[in-house]
Amino acid sequence: MHQPEPLAGEETVESGPSVESKNQEERITARRLRIAARNEAKKRQELGEDPQDKEDVQEETRKSQKEVEKSKKHMAKLQSDGLELVTNIQVAVDARESDRRTVLEEACRLRREKLENEAKSSQEKFEEITRKWTDAKLKQTPLDLRDALNSQQQLCEQILADKNKLISELQQELKASDDRFVKDLKRQAKDVDLLIERMEEQIASLRKSYREDLQQIENSFDEERKTLLTKHRKKWEHQSKDRSEKELKNMMQGISLLEEHEDLLQKLRVQRAEEYNIDKIRMDTEVQNLRKKLQDVKFNCHLNEEKLDYKYEVLKKREDENAILKSQLKRKIIRMQDALNNLKSKCANQEKQSKAEEQSLENENARIKQQYKDMQKKARHFAALDAERFEKFWLMSEDEVKALAHRVLETDRIIHEQQLGLAWVSPSLPFMERSGPIEPKTFNTASQVATDTQREDLVQESEGLEDIGSGVNRRTVKRILELLCDELGFLVESKLLMLVSHLEKNEQSLIKLDAIFSAIGIESEKDVYKMAEFLMNYKQHGRKQRELMEEEETTNNPPSDFIHQNDLLVALKDFTAQYCRPHDVQASQKSSVLKLDMRDEPEDAAYWESIVKVIPESKLRLWSALDTALNKYHTVLTERAELLVETQDVQQQNTELRQLLRLYTTSKASAVPEMQPARMKRFPM
Amino acid sequence: MRPVNAADARKMRSIIAEDPEWSLELVPLLTTLCLQYIIKHFEGKPILDELAANYKAYVLQRLPTSLPLTVTANLISDESFWKRCCEGRWAVCDISTYDNSWKRMFFERYLENIIEFFIPDSTDTKTVLDVVPLCRNYVKRLKVSQLLPPIKEVPRFDEDDRSDCASDTGSEGPTIDHFDFRILLDKLPNLEELSVVYGVKGCGMNFEWNLFEFTFRDCESLAKALNSCKTLQVFRIHRSKVDDEKCCMLVSQLLDHPSLHELDFSHNHIGDRGARAIGKLLNRSQLKSLVVCNNQIRGPGAQALAHALSKNTTLMSLNLRLNRIGDEGGQALAQALVKNNTLVNLHLGGNNMTEPTAVALSQALVENCTLKNLNLSNNRLGVDGGKVLEEGMSHNSSLVECDIRLTDVGQDSEYCIIQALRTNQSQASRKNQTQYDLSAKV
Repeated sequence: MHQPEPLAGEETVESGPSVESKNQEERITARRLRIAARNEAKKRQELGEDPQDKEDVQEETRKSQKEVEKSKKHMAKLQSDGLELVTNIQVAVDARESDRRTVLEEACRLRREKLENEAKSSQEKFEEITRKWTDAKLKQTPLDLRDALNSQQQLCEQILADKNKLISELQQELKASDDRFVKDLKRQAKDVDLLIERMEEQIASLRKSYREDLQQIENSFDEERKTLLTKHRKKWEHQSKDRSEKELKNMMQGISLLEEHEDLLQKLRVQRAEEYNIDKIRMDTEVQNLRKKLQDVKFNCHLNEEKLDYKYEVLKKREDENAILKSQLKRKIIRMQDALNNLKSKCANQEKQSKAEEQSLENENARIKQQYKDMQKKARHFAALDAERFEKFWLMSEDEVKALAHRVLETDRIIHEQQLGLAWVSPSLPFMERSGPIEPKTFNTASQVATDTQREDLVQESEGLEDIGSGVNRRTVKRILELLCDELGFLVESKLLMLVSHLEKNEQSLIKLDAIFSAIGIESEKDVYKMAEFLMNYKQHGRKQRELMEEEETTNNPPSDFIHQNDLLVALKDFTAQYCRPHDVQASQKSSVLKLDMRDEPEDAAYWESIVKVIPESKLRLWSALDTALNKYHTVLTERAELLVETQDVQQQNTELRQLLRLYTTSKASAVPEMQPARMKRFPM
Repeated sequence: MRPVNAADARKMRSIIAEDPEWSLELVPLLTTLCLQYIIKHFEGKPILDELAANYKAYVLQRLPTSLPLTVTANLISDESFWKRCCEGRWAVCDISTYDNSWKRMFFERYLENIIEFFIPDSTDTKTVLDVVPLCRNYVKRLKVSQLLPPIKEVPRFDEDDRSDCASDTGSEGPTIDHFDFRILLDKLPNLEELSVVYGVKGCGMNFEWNLFEFTFRDCESLAKALNSCKTLQVFRIHRSKVDDEKCCMLVSQLLDHPSLHELDFSHNHIGDRGARAIGKLLNRSQLKSLVVCNNQIRGPGAQALAHALSKNTTLMSLNLRLNRIGDEGGQALAQALVKNNTLVNLHLGGNNMTEPTAVALSQALVENCTLKNLNLSNNRLGVDGGKVLEEGMSHNSSLVECDIRLTDVGQDSEYCIIQALRTNQSQASRKNQTQYDLSAKV
């Protein structure tokens, strides 16, 4: 809204001094003007209502507003004038009052001065009088005294007159001021009246003017309203007239258009009727065709419907089944879920239990280990004891056996000498000299073998191959050991390696081998050879296999007796799997039983057998023959003895019977029944 | 048609329209009777709040205004009743000055009446104290237009009689102290405005000097009473012969008053010492308006006031009309105006000021931009003073009114000053208009 103006201003400025002018001063003035114009615009903007608007409004301001403004101004002027008129009185009174005060002050000052002068003069006179009193005292003569007194009196009177005069003057002044006071009062009353009058006048005039102004404003408003009304009515009439004309015109146009359209419609109707007929015929035929088709379609439809119904039934049933199944499955799922949960909980419990068990088992294990150790200790102890007992027993039984043998030999000698009457030759008896159990043979350990081989390597390298019972020569064993040493370094502990590193090569390999053997579980010399043999066998066996696959590769290598490096590990694995498990068990047993079981049973048996066989077979046969002969002799002898006893009995019986007969003969028959049973009894014995 | 039964018959019989003398008034309602009874025995048994609204209005409309105040004062808050009371007592009642509250008007005027006709030593103080509990909540302003002196020999009941006798009894009474405000002011918790005149109204030809005495003891009691009344906002004491000593005493008790903001010592005898005391008060209170017109303040007093004014930040209106401050005081005040930026109205009419003051004022007008009304009437500024003032006015944009009547200023300068004032006025009104518009927009 404001923008156009500054632009316009610039344009007008440009018409004057131009900014692009060649003259410097002109340019400067132009710029200044421009700045001034801008400032002005800004100021006008700041003042609030944008000036253009205001101008418009002012242009538009109707007469009524003007009237209102005018009356407002008029009233303000009237009021201020009236106020001035009224206050004028107050101001005048104030002025009078201040004047009065100045006059009063002046009068007061004059009066005071006058009084002071008067006082001074009267004082002087009084002093004169008092001085004269002293003079009068000096006067001797009464005449003089009288004169003096007279003069004193005169002076006193003078003073009194002065005072009286002053008093009368002051009284006059007082009266005058009283008069003035009354006058002032009257004037003030007048002033007050005037004031009231003026106020009333003012009120009246203000009321009047207000009323007039109101009338005028109302009139102006009325006029304005009337003019506006007439203006608008005219406008309204004009426009309504225009509108009615336009409507008429439009109506005429509409009617003509209507007629045209009716004609057109008629034509179109005829055309349409013809087209309709043609179309109808065509349509009828089409309808018939379609009916046929419809019937076909209906038939198909019916068929399909039945099919679909059937299918629908089937599907429905299936759906039911499915639903049942689903529900079952759901139930199952739920049950399963429950089971799962149960199992989970069980599992958890189990885990807990197993953990507890594990713990207990561990404890058990530890306990058992402890027990085992104790047992071992005990076993060792018992073994030692057993060995001791065994030795004692051995010695004892040997002594016994020896004694028995001795007796046997003695018997034999007696038999030979007494019974047979043959010269007796004592057999050789080696066991009689020795005593105590047979010492078992000792075996070399695996490590000893290794050291042996090594040593032999050093010493007997040139001595050639030495056969060992198993058919594996020492050289191959050595090579195998070297191979082991190289290939199975991983079995050796790193710490050990570090410790060993500064030793000689042989010693190094020795220690390494020791570690490796301990790791694999090889302990005895036998094992070493067994291993070597196994490896050789494996080599041969493995080569057969491999030759089939890698003929080309191996052709390059010189044929070697040794197992291939790559196979070594596998071979060793197999070997350990085959041998080491039982061996381990054996070894552990062996170690536990100590040397007691290391005894050679057959040897012991042979030993004892030899003792048994002190008496040879021939002699035994002799003895048995002798025995039978003696037995026969014995039986004969016994028979003789028996017969002897029988004869004795019979002899006794005979004697008894003779006694009985004698008795019987003597004492008749009374005591016979009693004697009979005793005899009967004694007989069976 | 015959009536069917008796009820119908009764209905038929009581056709009111046919009875020209029948009126509902003949049979007053029971409620009306009850209400009338209540009205009749209101003094003994005031029942009002328990009534329904319409009955309450009925009762209030008919309660007699002669009821004792002890019954009505704290019970009835209805304005129409108090309006009747006021109109019954006083012929002229301008309610607009009493916050449109008839009750307040009644009690204020009632209390004023009691105080104005209180005669010390002969009237019992109980008459005042009895009223206090009744009106303490409603009195905000007390305009005591006269205070009667004590009477010695003859007891009198009428004012005219008393003033007759007062002229006879002479002026040598040992105690001529007036009503003691101490017993009253601290019992009015809502009092905001107090106007006092220690003098007799309308004594006519019975004038006697001692009717218009403001004794030292009066002053002391008044000052203490003022100090005890902490709600007081406006205090006026007119035509009471307040001289320097009494002024000092009043001011000393008003120092640091928490609420006082208008003080009026018009038409007294305050001199320079009193003016100095007032100057001290200016900066130890929240005074917004100070009127000391028609006193006897001269140059030194005005200088003291000017000194206080230069430091003051509360005073907005100062009236020194009809004093004698002269050029000395006028120049001091003009210099104070340079520093002050709160004063809006300044009346220096009738103060014997001349050209030097006009020079100082014109300088002050150039620098001051808060002063709006300045009254310099009745000072002999002279033609040269007018010219100087005209020049000062040409640099001022805040002054709206400047009274320079009867100042002997030349016609030209008067015209110019008025023109300057007009421009200032139009600017101010425009500013007001814009502010109004802005606030209307907001």
